[in-house]
Amino acid sequence: MPTVPQMRRVVITGMGAISPLGVGAETLWQGLREGRSAIGPLRHPDAYRLRVKIAAQVPDSFDPTSNIDERTLIMLDRTSEFALHAAREAIAQSGLDFSQDELGVRTAVVVGTGVGGENTQDEQSKRLYGDNSPRAHPLTIVRVMTNASASHISIAYGLRGPTFAVASACASANHAIIQAAQMIRYGMADVAVTGGTEACLTYGALRSWEAMRVLADDTCRPFSINRRGLVLGEGAGIFVLESMEHAQARGAVILAELAGVGMTADATDIVMPNATGAAAAMTQALNDAGLAPQDVDYINAHGTGTQANDSTETRAIRLAFGSHADRLAVSSTKSMHGHALGASGALELVAVIGALRDGAVPPTANLDKADPACDLDYVPNIGREMPVRAAVSNSFAFGGLNAVLALKRAP
Amino acid sequence: MTDTTQQQVFAIIAKQAKIDVATIKPESTLKDLGIESLEAIEVIFDIEEHFNITFPDQQGANFDTDTTQSLVDAVQKALDEKAAEGEGSK
Repeated sequence: MPTVPQMRRVVITGMGAISPLGVGAETLWQGLREGRSAIGPLRHPDAYRLRVKIAAQVPDSFDPTSNIDERTLIMLDRTSEFALHAAREAIAQSGLDFSQDELGVRTAVVVGTGVGGENTQDEQSKRLYGDNSPRAHPLTIVRVMTNASASHISIAYGLRGPTFAVASACASANHAIIQAAQMIRYGMADVAVTGGTEACLTYGALRSWEAMRVLADDTCRPFSINRRGLVLGEGAGIFVLESMEHAQARGAVILAELAGVGMTADATDIVMPNATGAAAAMTQALNDAGLAPQDVDYINAHGTGTQANDSTETRAIRLAFGSHADRLAVSSTKSMHGHALGASGALELVAVIGALRDGAVPPTANLDKADPACDLDYVPNIGREMPVRAAVSNSFAFGGLNAVLALKRAP
Repeated sequence: MTDTTQQQVFAIIAKQAKIDVATIKPESTLKDLGIESLEAIEVIFDIEEHFNITFPDQQGANFDTDTTQSLVDAVQKALDEKAAEGEGSK
């Protein structure tokens, strides 16, 4: 292994979320901790003609105008509304003031999204192909582009460091957070605003998911033998990362340490997951964090609720953790916030930070029938109070892409 | 004489698997015929398009481990239901 020069430690000092459980990271965390599922009947103008009947959607009580001025709002797809709201919450919690000391120059913005401005794309396509309008809305391009969320966060706070979007389907958020952390570790930035966002519950996207036949029709039941697929969600989770010395120098409250990262590709199938690839990403994250398997108390699983993922992920955890796998608490919070695709790793990081900070593991909801192929402790249905020293958060994407975070309790 | 439902379904499967239709038996699974994962979903899509029907979402089972006869039965059921609704068949 090559030696790494002067790698800095990375901590999290702010978190924000817009999720199916409501507005705010604490709202999300308290809901997950209590085992509250936000999966419900699909609210969509075309719901009557869709086969998909359920989803985990951001509630209508989310008011995009509450925190964003009108001139900015007109430029935003729903994806960017979520991201900008969550960023405002995270930055406020961090206590950072970007108007001071040229801090903006040393701050990166990296936001993951699976598809970017899908609502705008869908609306404008309908207008052109469906309604035969000769004109697209002039702000279509700036709303659709996948980097819009990152750019609007940059503009809102004058953040002038490396700023871009990361796309890797369902692993986008974790991949984005890893890029941000690496930039801080290697000194390219002192602070990073990072996470994931997704809002793609359009008629076109829902029809496409239906055609893949991976959607559950009842609810999301990860690791349960009667699981019937995933439930689509939406939302955003955004975090403030800092080098540990930067956070300590200003006396910031540290929520958790982002101690290690792992990224691999299966290089096997475009949709079928592979235990070896997923396990390798977990092992990489542990090694990078300087953690032995027995140091870890909790895994927030990818846990989509599909037949293929849940048994494969179980095998992967066994491969990576050996005999310690039986001592881990493993849960899938997708059973409550749904699968927010490019935002999922970010919503799940809120759960991991909560678990480390409060000593409480959120449950896997709707797990009512054990599957012999899924034989770990999934914390079924009821959360558990327990000290969590270190935790791992898994994201595995279509395309065979794996991105894993390893976190430690705040020092 | 139009082809039977079975003949039409088998023709679609043969095209996707690039095999001689005569090698398909009612008890073969799509997996036996080398059709797995996304390819199986594509066969389902081709069948839906051909007959202008929509299969209900799968009940936990995998299409690739179902037999070709069960697919034919599912098509026939969907066609019968469509006829009963008075929409006629394509």
